Amino acid sequence: MTASATHCFATEGLTKRFPRVTALDNLTVAAGTGVTGLVGANGAGKSTLIKILLGLLSPTSGRATVLGLDTATQGLEIRRAVGYMPEHDCLPPDMSATEFVVHMAQMSGLPRTAARERAADTLRHVGLDEERYRPMGGYSTGMRQRVKLAQALVHDPKLVFLDEPTNGLDPQGRDDMLALIRRIGTEFGISVLVTSHLLGELERVCDHVIVIDGGRLLRSSAIREFTRAEQTIAVEVEDGQQRLAERLSAGGETVSVQGRLLTVQVAADDPERTYDAVRDAVCDLGLSLLRLEQRRGRIEDVFKEPVA
Amino acid sequence: MTTEPTAVIHDIGYRHYDGVRLGRGRAALALGVQSLRGVFGLGRTIRAKIMPLLLVAIMLMPTVVSVGVMALANQFVMPYPNYAVFMQAVIAIFLAAQSPYLVAPDLRFRVLPLYLSRPLTVTDYVLAKLAALAVALFGLLAVPLTIEYVGELLVDLPGPPHTAEYLGALGGSVLYAVLLASLGIALASLTPRRGLGVAVVIAFYMFTAAVSGIFAGVLISSGRDDLSGWALLLNPFFLVDYAQSALFGTTPVNTESAPPGVASCLILLAVVALAVTGVLLRYRKAAS
Repeated sequence: MTASATHCFATEGLTKRFPRVTALDNLTVAAGTGVTGLVGANGAGKSTLIKILLGLLSPTSGRATVLGLDTATQGLEIRRAVGYMPEHDCLPPDMSATEFVVHMAQMSGLPRTAARERAADTLRHVGLDEERYRPMGGYSTGMRQRVKLAQALVHDPKLVFLDEPTNGLDPQGRDDMLALIRRIGTEFGISVLVTSHLLGELERVCDHVIVIDGGRLLRSSAIREFTRAEQTIAVEVEDGQQRLAERLSAGGETVSVQGRLLTVQVAADDPERTYDAVRDAVCDLGLSLLRLEQRRGRIEDVFKEPVA
Repeated sequence: MTTEPTAVIHDIGYRHYDGVRLGRGRAALALGVQSLRGVFGLGRTIRAKIMPLLLVAIMLMPTVVSVGVMALANQFVMPYPNYAVFMQAVIAIFLAAQSPYLVAPDLRFRVLPLYLSRPLTVTDYVLAKLAALAVALFGLLAVPLTIEYVGELLVDLPGPPHTAEYLGALGGSVLYAVLLASLGIALASLTPRRGLGVAVVIAFYMFTAAVSGIFAGVLISSGRDDLSGWALLLNPFFLVDYAQSALFGTTPVNTESAPPGVASCLILLAVVALAVTGVLLRYRKAAS
């Protein structure tokens, strides 16, 4: 097996310039099997990268491979083997989810009977029950996202590109969608490239995260390295945050004050010591503790760090 | 000791698909068949079925009357090759009502990117839609013609049956289908709004019909009768009528001052090529 075949996708010096903007700027990155997160602010070049990987858009320079196939010359083979869930709405309102997913399966080359079976299976897996026979015009955002996901999976691809699948979902819907993405990557055995502008939600489901900004690679690493770097806790007390900060600093903790929040670096060698120190300090000083939480890694934090 | 369960529900989990995967051609065929069914409202809501079925019924009416007259009065009343020209308003309404259905929703609801993320090219998509509309239009013309021909054979009028005319009309129906489908898709794909698409197509028909009529009238009244046939070519139905006459030897509706047959055929070909190329270029641009 060649080196590129073990990768889900790989790019080399990929650049895409539009008349007014440079969407991708000399991007060289690769991702293996499993769930890969692609994080970037809006306009960072995520959707452009997916379109190039699908072979729908040709790069200004550089090259890309998907499942070992060249995007410039083997677009059809790539599109046969991958699924794509776009960011935007793409469901005709007068069709039912079943009809639509069956139709999309046929468009991927499945015979009609197989398409029906696969559509029923896939809709069940994404959690759409009786409502799948109703016209999609009356669906909630959560249901629409599920149908969009189902049409990307119906032909049993080796790899799916999910563009902002949690967009517009409420917290419960977001959790469900993330759990589903995790299942696709593990239980279904389909590799996933999922984009988001929230690193926090991707760290829950991804094995690997790629961060891009302004079309350039900021960082690409396994999720463990991200969370290690992000081991901080946020503490909020009613009054006397200054006193608490001084007390913790005196105890040897790394503390910074950000408005009403104290951010405490968790000791890498002995995490429990930090948690104990915070608990004891709050208790001893008699402060009212309002909030104590693990800081979710946010994209802004990654942006502050030097490129790995 | 546990009792043996009589029935068990297994969660078999995710199953991979290892059956056949058909090629691009079959996917395009499936798209064409689904589109063709949709043109006649099949697999759609009751409301979507009303218009096409009503128009099909209207298209059949002259045939029924004609067969009736043949049976009762022993007279042949409706020449096959002129059927489409007589029914042009109905055919134009059918075209206007149904061609936006084929292309507008995919643009408006942005389904097109989903098609293109599959092993289907822009060309496959456009050709499947064109073919679906062309087959629908051919059926709309060929079915009444065939019913009338069968009626003629059964009634057994004095003299030989009009077989050559019937076959010529079928050939002409192919021309009508191709030209009208190209124009319909080209015009309807200008807008993602279905209602607007209907208006654009019907306005195009009314405009060309009116302008060709006015030009022809002015030319005749100013004594330039020899040019009036050229003016009629502006109307797509007269254009095909003349081309049909040139290719299959049928008698056109407007016999006086017909333009050379080669000209009609070339103009027909050019219009189809222009419309199809226009659609393909626009879709290619939209896809990237």
